[in-house]
Amino acid sequence: MTQLRALGAACAAFAAFGWTPAPAQNAAAEWKIGVIAPTTGPIATIGTRQLATLQWWEREVNARKGGIKGRKVALKHCNDEASPEKAAACARELLAQGVVLLLNASVTGPIRATMPLVKNGPVMLTPSPNIVPDATGYVFQTSPPDADLVLALAEYAKASGVTRLGMVAATDASGEVGVASAAAVFPRLGLQYNLARIDLRATDASTQLSRVAGPDVPLLYSTYTGGGAVTVVKGYANLGLTQPLVVSYANISDPFIALIKDELPRRLLGTALRAVAPELLTDAAERERTATFTRSYEQWRGGERADMLNLLALGMADAAESILANVADPSDADAVKKYLEATPIKSFQTIRFSPQSHVGMNAKDVAIVEYRGGRWTRADPVR
Amino acid sequence: MSLFAQAVISGLMAGAVYALLAVGLIITLRTSRILNLAYGETYAIAGLAVSLLTKAGAPLWLAIVVALLLAVVFSVGLDRLFLQPRSHWPIPMLILVTLGVAFVSRGVLLVLAGIDPLSFPRLISGKPLRWLGGALPPQGLLLIVVGVATAIAATAFMAHTRTGRQLRACAANADAAQLLGVDVGRARAIAFAIAGLLGGVAAVLLVPLTSVDFQAGLAMTLRGFIAAALAGMVPARGVPAGLCLGLFESFVSTYVDALAQDPIVFVVLIGAALWQSRAIRHGGGLRA
Repeated sequence: MTQLRALGAACAAFAAFGWTPAPAQNAAAEWKIGVIAPTTGPIATIGTRQLATLQWWEREVNARKGGIKGRKVALKHCNDEASPEKAAACARELLAQGVVLLLNASVTGPIRATMPLVKNGPVMLTPSPNIVPDATGYVFQTSPPDADLVLALAEYAKASGVTRLGMVAATDASGEVGVASAAAVFPRLGLQYNLARIDLRATDASTQLSRVAGPDVPLLYSTYTGGGAVTVVKGYANLGLTQPLVVSYANISDPFIALIKDELPRRLLGTALRAVAPELLTDAAERERTATFTRSYEQWRGGERADMLNLLALGMADAAESILANVADPSDADAVKKYLEATPIKSFQTIRFSPQSHVGMNAKDVAIVEYRGGRWTRADPVR
Repeated sequence: MSLFAQAVISGLMAGAVYALLAVGLIITLRTSRILNLAYGETYAIAGLAVSLLTKAGAPLWLAIVVALLLAVVFSVGLDRLFLQPRSHWPIPMLILVTLGVAFVSRGVLLVLAGIDPLSFPRLISGKPLRWLGGALPPQGLLLIVVGVATAIAATAFMAHTRTGRQLRACAANADAAQLLGVDVGRARAIAFAIAGLLGGVAAVLLVPLTSVDFQAGLAMTLRGFIAAALAGMVPARGVPAGLCLGLFESFVSTYVDALAQDPIVFVVLIGAALWQSRAIRHGGGLRA
């Protein structure tokens, strides 16, 4: 009898307050965007800075523009800790939540682990240069491919009269992509190179650098990404080397510079997007967009400077905003695919996909930059 | 530049760190019979403490003293607060407790130090010393000399002093040692303090050459464990095992390939474990 009364009371309560739960109404009124970014783990710096940029975008779109097509943007973040297994679990969880787009700000291995899960949609955007998606699928890469970063470096080296360079690569998926790019590009441009791999647990890179940095090697290139790259820079200092050292794309960041500030190489160079040194942008609109973003981001983050990692995430955010604003149903993966393949995305630099290529930038978008006077600028030739 | 000399220098630098970590891990194992999976946290705590304190403007020497104290307090606190009160628990459970403490420590360090790797200036700077065609930074020389000397001193303390013998007696049979007048609690506190100090010293010597972040602890525990396992958990073998492991890894990385380093090292570790297990098969085993 008591149970019957309780059931009756529950029915009365549902009748009084309505059965449709409030969260479902909210869900219908927002664009759910899934974000996979490692905010702990070995490359947490990369994920955290990209996530911060996406959160900046969410805030800008919602607060200043009132959302997109009357609906707020709601980021759903999952921390994959740079682990392929966790990344796959994150993707499943976010897809189950009904996200209309997936933004993957992780690194090579974890991104690859999530790609089969979106073979039927939704569209997934990623800024990792190590990912070259198949143009028949729904994955789009918003940066230049690693081979084009290496090509830009090779062209810079050739223009400086360099015929041989030394290269250090980590023993992980990103490192192996760098090794494959070097094998494909350097010989084609008539450059010889010495290669040494460095274990991820290594506490010293002096043997690797000794192997690749002979007197006939005027330029050194490290593809090591993340905090471990510090070991390479400090190994360089331990050996008293003097050649210019080129660091990888993901190390063009203030936290990295802060770590090596006491042992900066005589010349520290990097492969970067042109917008890292805005004076290299020839398009006034691109310069303006980059300046607006960096000002706003720095103000929001209390003075934290926007760097390469922030720009990578901004490319994804701009592509997502363009999709949400212009595609009638962003959850229709085919419609989004067709839109992206036909429409250039205006960002800090223009991202162009095509039905033949889901990589949005190329070697022309890359600059070899040099760290001077507390900022990155166009690199002088190797002397 | 001689590749061989550089491989030796690099191997000795890594080996000195392995030796410190191995001896610290063995000392706690031989006094408590517990494999302390939170041991590497002493490295992370000390490394991050020096980095944060120097960043805040503290003199380097003061930062080092505070960091070493923190490492010792963490290590002794782990034993006093979590392990000793549960000494009646099965040893596998206590090992899990140390793993749990390691993850809690990791979380606390994440909150206090943030996600970015940190480092601090070298204790000795200057031009690299040239030796047989190899280059050795002054900080690297300090790491090798002080690291190996500290590890040897800890080993000698265990083997040749009255307190050291008491520590080993506690591991062999804590009840019997107590009946013979050994203060078991004090003995374990000394062992964990020494271990914490060794982990802290490893950080002070190595971090200026690399960097440290909140998750460095478990990686350091693994490094120490590999060297300790090669040493057969015998304190006197900790230093040679650590140095041999460092040199071996360096030569594999230099003359074979860094890709082959882990598979080869772990094959050697399995071989060493099988070799050492002969004693167990024949009725022997670990003795304090």
